[in-house]
Amino acid sequence: MLKTILKRILQSIPTLLIVITITFVLTRMIPGNPARTILGPQASAQDIAEMEIKLGLNKSKLEQYADYMIGILHGDFGTSYVYNRPVTSLIAERIPNTLVITLTSLVIAIFIGVGIGVLSAIKQYSILDYIFMILALVGVSMPIFWLGLMLVNLFSVQLGWLPALGMGSMSKGIGDVISHMVLPCFCLATIPTATFARITRSSMLEVIHSDSIKALRARGIKESSIIWKHALKNALPPIVTVLGLQLASAFTGAILTESIFSWPGMGTMIVSAIDNRDYMLIQGTVLFIAVVFVVVNLLVDVVYMIINPRVSYDSKGGN
Amino acid sequence: MKKRFLALALVASMCVSLAACGNSGSKETEGTAANSSASETTASGQTEAEGDPVKGGTLTISLSASPSKLDPIHYSGTYESQIIKEVCDTLIEYNSDLSEYVPALATDWTVSDDGITYVFNIRQGVKFQKGKYQDGREMTAEDVAYSLNRSGELSDSNRLSMLDKAEATGDYEVTCTLKSANSSFLTALTDGGNAIVPKEEVEGWGDDFGSHLIGTGPFAMESFQLDQQAVLKKNADYWMGEPNLDEVIFKVITDSTQAANALQTGEVDIAMDLKGESVQKVKDNADLTLLETPGLHVAYVYFNMEQGPTADIKVRKALIEAVNVEEMVSSLYKYGEAQNASLPLPPGSWGYDASLESKVPGYDPEDAKKLLAEAGYGDGLTLDLYISDTEVRQNMAVLLQAYWAQVGVTLNIHASEWGTFSEVAMSNNADVYGMSWTWYPDPYFFLNKLFSTEEWGGIGNGQHYSNAKVDELLQKALEATEQSDRADYYKQALALIVDDLPGLFYANENVIYGVDGRVHDFIQRADGTIKLVTPENNVWVTD
Repeated sequence: MLKTILKRILQSIPTLLIVITITFVLTRMIPGNPARTILGPQASAQDIAEMEIKLGLNKSKLEQYADYMIGILHGDFGTSYVYNRPVTSLIAERIPNTLVITLTSLVIAIFIGVGIGVLSAIKQYSILDYIFMILALVGVSMPIFWLGLMLVNLFSVQLGWLPALGMGSMSKGIGDVISHMVLPCFCLATIPTATFARITRSSMLEVIHSDSIKALRARGIKESSIIWKHALKNALPPIVTVLGLQLASAFTGAILTESIFSWPGMGTMIVSAIDNRDYMLIQGTVLFIAVVFVVVNLLVDVVYMIINPRVSYDSKGGN
Repeated sequence: MKKRFLALALVASMCVSLAACGNSGSKETEGTAANSSASETTASGQTEAEGDPVKGGTLTISLSASPSKLDPIHYSGTYESQIIKEVCDTLIEYNSDLSEYVPALATDWTVSDDGITYVFNIRQGVKFQKGKYQDGREMTAEDVAYSLNRSGELSDSNRLSMLDKAEATGDYEVTCTLKSANSSFLTALTDGGNAIVPKEEVEGWGDDFGSHLIGTGPFAMESFQLDQQAVLKKNADYWMGEPNLDEVIFKVITDSTQAANALQTGEVDIAMDLKGESVQKVKDNADLTLLETPGLHVAYVYFNMEQGPTADIKVRKALIEAVNVEEMVSSLYKYGEAQNASLPLPPGSWGYDASLESKVPGYDPEDAKKLLAEAGYGDGLTLDLYISDTEVRQNMAVLLQAYWAQVGVTLNIHASEWGTFSEVAMSNNADVYGMSWTWYPDPYFFLNKLFSTEEWGGIGNGQHYSNAKVDELLQKALEATEQSDRADYYKQALALIVDDLPGLFYANENVIYGVDGRVHDFIQRADGTIKLVTPENNVWVTD
């Protein structure tokens, strides 16, 4: 298995190289010039030219690309134009904030989503099943931006129960931190919860109608034990795959959620980096998300191998 | 593997394509804090100052974008200058209705007859806030000279480019020599970019000085969290007197609906840049006050003066005559957030000349059709309009499309976020572009920037307006030292510009704030600058 993992890591290098190149090209293709954006509307042509020299944008694109690549090889991911700080330190500063809401919302999504999925599967074609699946359908198709503003309008403006935005501060106690997390996490959890519910339901249905489960029933094993212990375990592989994808896409979901709730994470930073044409920061954050994607997928494969030993990624032998 | 790669590429392209729907259009009117002189028509919104001021408490203000560069020489947006101007002081200031200069760190000043030498007497006994590299020592003439020279040489936006050198010519005297006579110098000195800062701190922190900004202002920087907030604590030794507030928090809220929500929930006390329905929400809420002041602002569409059909003045006249400005403005600003305009200068500027308003062609679609036929476009023509993707600009574009369709002009609308828009607009590649301009009330900051030939390639004059007589008058106005002479030159230049019909100048937007009832003695300024402690007011809050 170790060999397989090592191989997968090596395989991801060309993928990341391609991501770096594509991001580099795409950021340069966005119309607009960082120097102009940084200096604001009233800047003169001369101010802009001076700023371009300062930022190294007067060099040819190829030279800029080479500089960037050489930098990466030395562990230097560039300096943000706007914040004038190393991209890595900016990302390191923001990533805990994003992890807090993405992971919390994923945990919520797994418990609620899988629970709903299992219940729906057991009670297939019941009213409960229909209600859950309609809710799940609404959930996966929910525009997060709209949902966020509606939640704020209801819970903050009308009812006054929860803060509308921002991140709480530990100095005001854990309650402050949690109350600030409720709405963003709810927003971010909506789509994954619905997705887990749907995938769990279909995966469970397949399993509970299988012969092995019928055999367990025939042996007179308790129904709850059959469902939660045996059936769910066999239904897990597709859920784990989706979990990997959801974790990675929660990062992109955070872009919208963080913007609505002024949550100081990676998402707000990516949006302002793009607005400011902060090339280095855009490249750095996209690369970071790509790495997360690769790592998560690798982890998913490993987990997959553990929960389902029949799966092997080793093309030569197998076990 | 293939699937994963596709997914990766998708993430990458998603992040980048956000550029096409980003929300930075608001930058358009946030370029620079506009401060300046004389404006009879500028009324100021104000909250109640009655009762005995209460000491203590926290005031929270929303900012529409995150400040990132708080070193005065590097800042670029109003949201940054708001913080700089609470932490630091400038040599001189404007009073709250922007009608005259008032002393700040300089107590008085004289100007030589040739307009080149300015001598400032510096206030004694003013202390810097304590920092890592100095212990709250007195500010001296050396600090003033150092700060001004630093800005003159290093300012990213060349905010003091007219300065040749500043010298300390006495313990409390600074002499500034300009490269050539330039009357916009005093106005420039009021800019947060030219604030006075201590040399030890600047050099000690180096590139990081912005995050540890130190000045002589009423509030000292306590903490600064990027994209989150800046917390300021009162400077009890402030030379003008102790501030009433203990703490001021500038909170970053990029979404304007959310800023209005936060005002309603009490999470912020002052929400700036309110728009559309948020204005009504604040009006309807008895606990909140809506402050509204005519802004130093002009919204316009600018025609290409050099290329395409609009190079022909007949076409430009026809396009202006085809639009019912009054009707357009009342439907664009449903909550009365703007006034009709006709000239490329806000009425709040002392160069404004109301007698020129009648020279701008009125609504006359029949004449417009005739003019287009004369210009050879009897069968119609197609134009491309470029705008940033803000709501008010997009609504304007749709109305314009309808008005112009009535006279046979097909309008293609290209809406994109600010970076993309400005690229096209600056490069003389748009038939027509729509935007707005806001700056100091000194006409220099409107007329020179929008119509001087020297400004080709900047976004002000991206349409290549050029008139030798206008250039000459603008130069004379810059060299004259008496404001009345300058106003005269600007009015003459304005008359020539109006004759050339370079654009349709349709609205002056108001500066609109929503303010919580607990805020007292707050004075709104037409330039949008927030000043919490001035000779005229000292803001306080009740709980």
